[in-house]
Amino acid sequence: MNTTSAQFVTTRRIGVYEPIHQISTWGENFKSNSNLNTSSSLILEDTKLDNQSEDASHGTMAPSNQYDQEASKPADKVLRRLAQNREAARKSRLRKKAYVQQLETSRLKLIQLEQELERARHQGLYMAGGLDASHLGFPGTVNSGITAFEMEYGHWMEEQNKQIGDLRTALNAHISDVELRMLVENGLEHYTKFFRMKGSAASADVFYVMSGMWKTSAERFFSWIGGFRPSDLLKVLLPQLDPMTEQQLMEVYNLQQSCQQAEDALTQGMEKLTLTLAETVAAGRLVEDSYLPHVASAMDKLESLVGFVNQADHLRQEALQQMYRILTVRQAARGLLALGEYFQRLRALSSLWATRPREPA
Amino acid sequence: MHQAIPYSYKTYFPTTIGLSRDTSTTTTTTTSVADATNVGKLVSENAVIVFGRRGCCMCHVVKRLLQGLGVNPTVSEVDDQDEAAVINQVLKINGVDQESGGQDGSSVQFPVVFVGGKLFGGLERVMATHISGELVPILKEAGALWL
Repeated sequence: MNTTSAQFVTTRRIGVYEPIHQISTWGENFKSNSNLNTSSSLILEDTKLDNQSEDASHGTMAPSNQYDQEASKPADKVLRRLAQNREAARKSRLRKKAYVQQLETSRLKLIQLEQELERARHQGLYMAGGLDASHLGFPGTVNSGITAFEMEYGHWMEEQNKQIGDLRTALNAHISDVELRMLVENGLEHYTKFFRMKGSAASADVFYVMSGMWKTSAERFFSWIGGFRPSDLLKVLLPQLDPMTEQQLMEVYNLQQSCQQAEDALTQGMEKLTLTLAETVAAGRLVEDSYLPHVASAMDKLESLVGFVNQADHLRQEALQQMYRILTVRQAARGLLALGEYFQRLRALSSLWATRPREPA
Repeated sequence: MHQAIPYSYKTYFPTTIGLSRDTSTTTTTTTSVADATNVGKLVSENAVIVFGRRGCCMCHVVKRLLQGLGVNPTVSEVDDQDEAAVINQVLKINGVDQESGGQDGSSVQFPVVFVGGKLFGGLERVMATHISGELVPILKEAGALWL
């Protein structure tokens, strides 16, 4: 609809055949995004109207100018072409400006919606007793420890986003090392707080924490024992910390190795736990007995799950502290910023994936 | 000539529920049983020894971590009924050794690790010292690691 009307009006206004190339390219750009079409066509209408009023005088005078044109054809044509180019360029710039403004507002809107969705979803999800239960519509029991965690998490996330913004500003503004150190230590303390929160939540409902229920889907995908895997994160962050001394590189490499070894040990422990738990549940005669014979034993094993979550969080904490020891203040700030950004991107990816246009069934 | 061999699920699946990773101990660790009487002996005889409840998965984690470093830890299993007595012994040993480091004797939990005859700590301390790089030198000093 855009391109055809543009073509139509242009021909009418100018009165001669002119390449409408510039206008049609912007139209092509807009076709792909239906949201933008409406307002950009409005802008287009405005500029068209403006030009119409400007050129009205030219239009009425066209016939009488024809003879003059024939006499001084080349010069007039050149001047007119230049004027039209200027016009087209001006319109192009205006459209571009409108487009960019649209993008900015859409982006802000997306971030807001994302946050709202997260909050609403988790409240709704947990009130129904979990993702599966809400699918089936079972009213589950409300776990106060978990509701408390979710509320705290909302606040924690707001504070986290603020801290990341502050870090970014600080690094760009080249503040002193002393002030930067304060920001870094605040950031680390904030993570410590989060691990404490998780600890309480694990005591309330270890399955909730193990499954990473408070996270977005992309974050949950990368989850290992209810949180991030330190060695993976180090691999992601390493290139962001350049330049590093050889000593630092060696120390970071050693840290990566240590994390990997600790993770492997914990993973193997988890596998053993999974195996023995399955055996406990299946013990006795499955076909004949309709009850769980070794309930106490099974419950005991579930208790040890809490221990695993705590140990995994402890490992994450120690890895962060060790990084802080290895890096300079500026590197540590960059590292924290990169870490925060990484998770923000994962969350954005989740939203984009969830709202991507799909083929109608 | 083929003989009829009775197959059962155990022929195909060595463990009761098939897992690709072998979680049973086919490693070179020595396992023993600890009760109130032999704690002191075990501690003094081994460079590294881990006391843990039978079948405890955290104990498994400690063992795997140490094995991954090249250590050959002795794992000593404690029966449920002996647990309290063994912990008492552990505390006594710790109490005698004044230089054993800042260990709060009242908070000993299984699994617990002794290095070089001295109380080292639980899984948390092992993890923390491993991450900070302090563990390997300590193990070498105790003669648990070479190279």
